[in-house]
Amino acid sequence: MRPSSFWLIVLVLPPVMALTVLPPFGQRMVTLAGIYGLMGLGYQLVFGQLGALNLAQGALFGLGAYAAALTAPVLGPFALIAAIVAAALPAALVAGPLLRLQSHYFALATLALASLVNLAAVHAESLTGGANGLAGFATALPRGPVLLVMVWVCLIAGVLLYAWLFEGTLGKKAHLLRDAPLLAAAHGIDAAAWRFTAFVAGAALAGLAGACSAALSGVVSPDVTGFSVMVLCLTLVVLGGARHPMGAVLGAVLAVGLPELLRELQGAWLLAYAVATLAVVLWAPEGLAGLIDRLRGARRPPPVPPGLPDIVPPVPGAQRLTVDGVSKSFGGVQALADVSLLVDRGEIVGLIGPNGSGKTTLLNVISGLDHADEGAIALDDHRVEGLPAHRVARAGIGRTFQALELAGDTRSADLARAVATGAAFLLLDEPAAGIGDGERRALEAFLAKVRDSGRGVLIVDHDIELLSRVCDRLVCLDRGRAIAAGRPAEVRADARVRASFLGLDGVAA
Amino acid sequence: MAYALVALGFVLALNAAGAVNFAHGDLVVLGGAAAVFIGAWLGLPSILLLPIVALAIGIVGIVAARVAILPLANRPPEATFVATIALAAIIEQSLTIAMAGAPRTAPSLAGSGSFEIAGLVVGRQPLAIVVVGALLVAAVWFLLEHTQIGRRMRAVAADRHMARAVGIPVARYVVLSLALSGALAGIAGFLLGHQFLVAPTQGAGHMLKAYIAVALGGWGSVPGALLGALGIGIFETFVSAGFGDAWASAALYIAVLAVLALRPQGLFGEPVGRRA
Repeated sequence: MRPSSFWLIVLVLPPVMALTVLPPFGQRMVTLAGIYGLMGLGYQLVFGQLGALNLAQGALFGLGAYAAALTAPVLGPFALIAAIVAAALPAALVAGPLLRLQSHYFALATLALASLVNLAAVHAESLTGGANGLAGFATALPRGPVLLVMVWVCLIAGVLLYAWLFEGTLGKKAHLLRDAPLLAAAHGIDAAAWRFTAFVAGAALAGLAGACSAALSGVVSPDVTGFSVMVLCLTLVVLGGARHPMGAVLGAVLAVGLPELLRELQGAWLLAYAVATLAVVLWAPEGLAGLIDRLRGARRPPPVPPGLPDIVPPVPGAQRLTVDGVSKSFGGVQALADVSLLVDRGEIVGLIGPNGSGKTTLLNVISGLDHADEGAIALDDHRVEGLPAHRVARAGIGRTFQALELAGDTRSADLARAVATGAAFLLLDEPAAGIGDGERRALEAFLAKVRDSGRGVLIVDHDIELLSRVCDRLVCLDRGRAIAAGRPAEVRADARVRASFLGLDGVAA
Repeated sequence: MAYALVALGFVLALNAAGAVNFAHGDLVVLGGAAAVFIGAWLGLPSILLLPIVALAIGIVGIVAARVAILPLANRPPEATFVATIALAAIIEQSLTIAMAGAPRTAPSLAGSGSFEIAGLVVGRQPLAIVVVGALLVAAVWFLLEHTQIGRRMRAVAADRHMARAVGIPVARYVVLSLALSGALAGIAGFLLGHQFLVAPTQGAGHMLKAYIAVALGGWGSVPGALLGALGIGIFETFVSAGFGDAWASAALYIAVLAVLALRPQGLFGEPVGRRA
């Protein structure tokens, strides 16, 4: 979204006030807020846009601070450039292996890296001055109002650039990459390059922020690489809004301003800050900036997805789908063993079972994507088990796909398409996975319409409550066998269903 | 052995919540602090203090589940990460205020001093830690493997949708797992609090070691976490004896990074899909 004039004023106000009316102490505070804002803006690229929990941003900030302190006597103001390189270069070196990791390992790896930097800061005394840190370098760096102007010019430029970049296609691409990496790849988005760029740019901003903080405080100690800086950075971004262009700025201003406002509370301001962050995570996931937008009514309401058709016309065709004694094995693994079931017109049948019990395989075999080793699949008397998928579809079996990789609107479109083909029977693979409560109710209502139109539905989903509400019957698969079938309440109470699941072996706790 | 308790609690919470509990280390510290304060207040002998501390931190675990984990069950794991990091900060800051920044010592479990067994000098406190630790690990193993409650806890961890399908009240078992996790953390904090001082800022360190133990031992595996924790303990003891504490920590972090770089899916892979 393009920053509105409201946000532009909010953005420019602190430095202008600092330069015109505030005493030197106030200027210092505003400079500090700007520094946190730069660090946070960099973090928004990684945490907000990539959705990766990077726990090394504090360490990168510290690297920048040390680099500035060490090179300032030689390079003068150019030490700031050295600081950016000092943070961005290591980030670029580790980015390759790091960005391949899944979320929890990514967090761990960045935390381990950060701990290494912190250890080095404390123990490499000849270079870093150990626990005492470094001092006496600040005269070579920009100070006072010059530093303030520099920090805020960088920050304002950064925020505007960020807003401009993520307003359009790039924002959509980032969204797609976060939520549906495989689909993004299918759309030709180079995930690796984009993640690398965001990570290194985020590191560069952290390095710059670290250098400016060294210039502001005049000393650098191992504390700047510590976990508390990291926590501050994370909380300010979450509090302000992880993706909103103004999120980092808002969070930073609060992080610096709150302790002043809550001076009577003394040490408790960090406590208040952490409580506020938790509250935001729980109740306003878009952050304070997003909340303010919502209250101002400035943000456009989220686009209404193309949605599901209101009217589902009846279709001609076969009256019954029969699956009789179907078996299928992959390699030596028996994926389906002698599975039989019926789906009539005007009936919704739910397929449940633990992960890997063969639910999706069964849908694939029925729809002709895979072929059964044994058994028969028929629409009335017309056998379809040997037909290729497109002929099965033409014979009257529509199919939607496991939608983990599809965003909400795409998912509705997939379902709408399956209905529009005029198939008498629909196979739905996890239509409710990952959708919100509102969409879930819409889906339920839509499924009822599909049933009333006289179509037959076979549906796989993890949301057993939803299945129990919409399905006429449930079938439970366990290791490829249908172990129970009947009304939802009966199947859920079935001893074999419970035992098959509770007896799940080979899975530690 | 105390690491093993920390890691055991961590992995229980991990499996129940489906996400890393970044506040786990702070629950450990809280256990140490509770031992300090309740001990000074009631003047009870340590052996009675232990269950009280376990109960108190178990209740904190329940609060953590209700506040930071259950409400976020349908959001991406990062939301739980951030919520528990905020919770960790809340605990740390509260403790900083309560303890006025000064580290304290928790009461010892079995008195100080040492005695000789077969020519080996054994400290009473380390021995007590090993005994209590082994008893608790055995108790948790029995609970998970041989009781209905434990099987249901494992079921919730394996697939919460299926667990709900067969009528297990999932939320209750998540809360129960977190209570157990908290109690273990509290006991670990008590045991560690006598050997090392209790300081509010230690939480991140405890959490990181448990995290590493679980990552090395196989994500989500209970025996793996215990082995990982024992491995870390032995590794640290030997390296720090040879080269000092700083190198021991550095070597540990480098080892973890090397493992992650070479085997991005974890040392032993993951048994059931993704469970970030």
